[in-house]
Amino acid sequence: MNLEAPLPTVARSRWTGLGAFIGTELRVQLHEVLSIATSIIVQAVFLVFVAVLARQYLSYTLIGAVVFSTFQIGQRVQNEAAWIRIDHKLHEMYHASPMTPEAYFLGMSVGVLLAYCAPIFVLFAAAAYFVGLTLPVALVLLAVLGGEFVFTASVGYMISTWFKNMRSIWPYSTLFFNFFSVLPPVFYPLWLFPPALQPVALILPTSGGTALVEHAAGILPLSAEWIALAAGSLVVGASLAFVGAVYWARRISRER
Amino acid sequence: MAMNSDALRAESVRKVYRGRGGPDIEALSGVSLRVLRGERVSLLGRNGAGKTTFLRIASTLLAPTSGSVEVFGIDAIADPESVRPFLAVVPQEGKPFMHLTPREQAYTYLRARGFAKETAKSRAEHALEQMGLTEVADRLSITLSGGQRQRVMVATVIATEAPLLFLDEPTIGMDPFARRGVWDSFRELTRKGSTILLTTHYLDEAEALSQRLYIVDRGRLLAEGTADQLKHSVGGTLRVSVAFGDGISTQLATFGPLVRDGDTVHVITSPHRIQELLALAARSNLTATVGPVTLEEAFLRVVGRSINDES
Repeated sequence: MNLEAPLPTVARSRWTGLGAFIGTELRVQLHEVLSIATSIIVQAVFLVFVAVLARQYLSYTLIGAVVFSTFQIGQRVQNEAAWIRIDHKLHEMYHASPMTPEAYFLGMSVGVLLAYCAPIFVLFAAAAYFVGLTLPVALVLLAVLGGEFVFTASVGYMISTWFKNMRSIWPYSTLFFNFFSVLPPVFYPLWLFPPALQPVALILPTSGGTALVEHAAGILPLSAEWIALAAGSLVVGASLAFVGAVYWARRISRER
Repeated sequence: MAMNSDALRAESVRKVYRGRGGPDIEALSGVSLRVLRGERVSLLGRNGAGKTTFLRIASTLLAPTSGSVEVFGIDAIADPESVRPFLAVVPQEGKPFMHLTPREQAYTYLRARGFAKETAKSRAEHALEQMGLTEVADRLSITLSGGQRQRVMVATVIATEAPLLFLDEPTIGMDPFARRGVWDSFRELTRKGSTILLTTHYLDEAEALSQRLYIVDRGRLLAEGTADQLKHSVGGTLRVSVAFGDGISTQLATFGPLVRDGDTVHVITSPHRIQELLALAARSNLTATVGPVTLEEAFLRVVGRSINDES
């Protein structure tokens, strides 16, 4: 053994292995066909309720369902990150490697997104048919979905690192589900929300994003200030969450 | 990069876990050790001795409270990202992705580390073959036994041929044949230039694999050396095991250090005192057998002495 032999040269960038890890996550997730297929059950149930009880709000519920689906995928990132870390301990193998913590976070997020985006297309198509999405509206919707996903996946990843066992995480999923999706005006129009709380709803990425798409589709009038509030909150929230998640991913890759 | 014969050098590494509602726990109390490039070194110790904590600190997964760690001459505390490309880790009680096959697991991990497709494919195949996993290489890991899953974890990591491997109880749950296959693969890795630091509770494994061993207890290093040096350090080269020898332990103690193991008292002694000792056992109507001192006795003796010192 030559003790002075040079170490192998390692060519790497911050995103070494990102594509491969996206592929890994995608393969893992695609085995959960039932989970993917049932990922729009809640949205479908809400749609049925609204179609039966208040058909005039169906367009709002459809747009909300698309936005909520993306939010839900972000939550799956939280559960996946926690599962890999707590149950499998595979994060240690990936962190003690040339792959950077941010590539690990992003790879996992995008892999989960790709696996679970098929059901969103179903809702997207339904929204296009019933709401009559034009190209500009569809672009607004895609932008909102992007911001939504970045926000939720980033926050979800950070939260996933705070717990020592899976059971502790489950209540938070329920909390976020209700706080971000059921209570605020995601599946119903903004004007049905208490007026004093409407600005708060616009700040939340789910209801704020939904309001922007509904405004673009011409079914929800919003003042310029409120558009700025909703759009600004989404952009700032998603950006801060992403930067925070990258920072946190690096920091938590070595526990304290 | 500066050349250095040390793969790993740790100085006065201390780790205190903050107690959550309880007292703080000092897991490491100033551990210093060196692992030379190309060596296979084992960390031995009881449960909770601090082995995993040390391994996690050395592999950049845990920050120490104080002390320094250098990996190939690079400060692993200040600059973990520069160190990580040279590392590979088998975590304690880790599991592969249940919905990947062993072949996919090894291949995708190598790809994530930046290996080219062909290299990743051939290394994955070789590692799976070494671990005896070829027959199950295309079965989902969820269908494999616990021992097979552990072999998948080891195969995935040895396929990297990383310069420095940290293996935390890598053969846990494996059958004796599989363990020997793993040992052979570790030997091959170090022949190729890798360095291995592992923890194990199998002392036969530590002895068969390691060129040097460190014994840790309660966060402190108690002993260091080759298996032979550790065995010699306990006061003799032969062990006389006296069944139900507690009644004459005072006399037995005059022949050398005692190690108790259930109803049996092991006496570590020198060859020239064997006849006398056997005669004592015969006079007491006790059965005595003679054998070489094992690493297990050395370990029990070293750690036992430490426990007695504490109490």
